[in-house]
Amino acid sequence: MKTTGILWRLASFAVAAGFVALWQLIANFKLVSPVFLPGPDRAWASLVRGFSSGDLLAKLAGTVEHMAYGWLAASIAGIALGAVIGSSPRMRTYVAPSLEFLRPLPVSAIIPVAIAMLGLTQAMALFVIAFGAIWPIMLATIHGFAAVEPRLYEVARSLQMSKLAVIFKIALPSASPDILAGMRLSLTVALILAVVCEILAGLDGLGHWVLLSARAFRSADLFAGVILLGVTGYVTSVAMSLAEHRLLAWQASQR
Amino acid sequence: MKAQVKAQVKAQGTANAQRQFDPVAGHPTPQVAFADVTLDLGGKTIIENLSLGVQPAEFLCIVGASGCGKTTALRLAAGLYQPTRGKVTFDGQPMREPRREIAIVFQDYGKALLPWRTAAGNVSLALEAGGMPAAERPARIEELLRTVGLPGHAGKYPAEMSGGMQQRLQIARCLAQEPKTLLMDEPFGALDAMTRQGLQDEVLSLVAASGVTVIFVTHDLDEAIYLGDRVIGLLPHPGRIGIELPVNLPRPRDQLSTREHPEFLRLRRQLFDFIKATEQ
Repeated sequence: MKTTGILWRLASFAVAAGFVALWQLIANFKLVSPVFLPGPDRAWASLVRGFSSGDLLAKLAGTVEHMAYGWLAASIAGIALGAVIGSSPRMRTYVAPSLEFLRPLPVSAIIPVAIAMLGLTQAMALFVIAFGAIWPIMLATIHGFAAVEPRLYEVARSLQMSKLAVIFKIALPSASPDILAGMRLSLTVALILAVVCEILAGLDGLGHWVLLSARAFRSADLFAGVILLGVTGYVTSVAMSLAEHRLLAWQASQR
Repeated sequence: MKAQVKAQVKAQGTANAQRQFDPVAGHPTPQVAFADVTLDLGGKTIIENLSLGVQPAEFLCIVGASGCGKTTALRLAAGLYQPTRGKVTFDGQPMREPRREIAIVFQDYGKALLPWRTAAGNVSLALEAGGMPAAERPARIEELLRTVGLPGHAGKYPAEMSGGMQQRLQIARCLAQEPKTLLMDEPFGALDAMTRQGLQDEVLSLVAASGVTVIFVTHDLDEAIYLGDRVIGLLPHPGRIGIELPVNLPRPRDQLSTREHPEFLRLRRQLFDFIKATEQ
């Protein structure tokens, strides 16, 4: 059982290594011009150079910061709003049509509005990222709060629990699987929007780095930035699933 | 208001002179009382003119064909429903909302337990609601889990327990409320026969030890007679009292000898005839 798991893991690494080897071959045989496509060797060298000089680290920190602040703001606001809307059927009927109108709105359409109102500032980036990332969280929270077993509310009533206790001991834990799933989706949205905002507003971050590298035909630096963005997305999503696994340990017993 | 309740109690007293818990002589105020209660839900009358007094420490069973309003009556007693007309009182005070002295054991234990809390955590919920300091809770939780026959299962999640164990856990949580009245809504309906008999006896000894008042709803006539001091049969559409039988069987009850007792068989016959008649 355990050895097959390790074998699968090894196989998946082999596939990844295969892709890198293919990339190296394409670059070596110059199937694509080196101006546009550096080999993994050059991208790696650029990555190392960027980190040793500290440039890339600063850009990475910038992107992670944008992403984290926007995502946290979206999480707090999304869970709070979702809880209010989800726990009242009347609220749901009133607000649902507006939400249905706002939700499918491409966030990129909001960016010019945000720039017009807030300028090319960090505040603008924070607003855009939070606005984009709030939807999956809020909708998941609404669903989670609306789906709380009514019997549990009756239990709470017969125990004469306070409103606050009902929210924190019944509704929130009951909705937590939905909420965490929403937060995981939002993480990706936050990363995408962080990069977009950096590109559009010239804010310090990997998005900006990638844009400048491309304009200067520094393809190795460009790829170093892209790789780093990929790693950021991967690491945050792994961290998120670890957190989910820990917080939802009780669910494992239900399967 | 009090006069009204008293009049209703007196009327019942005369109707059932040989009842074990005589309301007039023994207890002037019933613990749970329905005074001419009518409940309309969604334009339909579910319960009509129901008058009923339950004495402290009495074990009252309510039976009836499905859809006769027995669960609804229990929810009225719990304060989960408010009557359209009439009054439900607890210790003489009108029931406006559920209260901690009245615990309710739901039939669907799977839905009534918190799946994200362990057995200990589920019991703790009631202690937390009662304001017990955190330091005192573990000892009390252990005691309660032992009382319901779940020692050593404190760390298990409900999903890791059998149906019988989950229902025991729900009973433990209800006991943690330290109720004066325990309402049980077909608590063993979803369990197999062996588990059910075991739990019947455990409930009887729990009740005997704590002196709690019980209103027990079931569709199992044998169960009602076996457990109760008194059995009430409801007539459907709308729900109202059709028959009232005092159970004068010796306690402690025994699964074999009680069920073979001539009085048990007589009551069983009477109830079966009643239910049969209501279904026609």
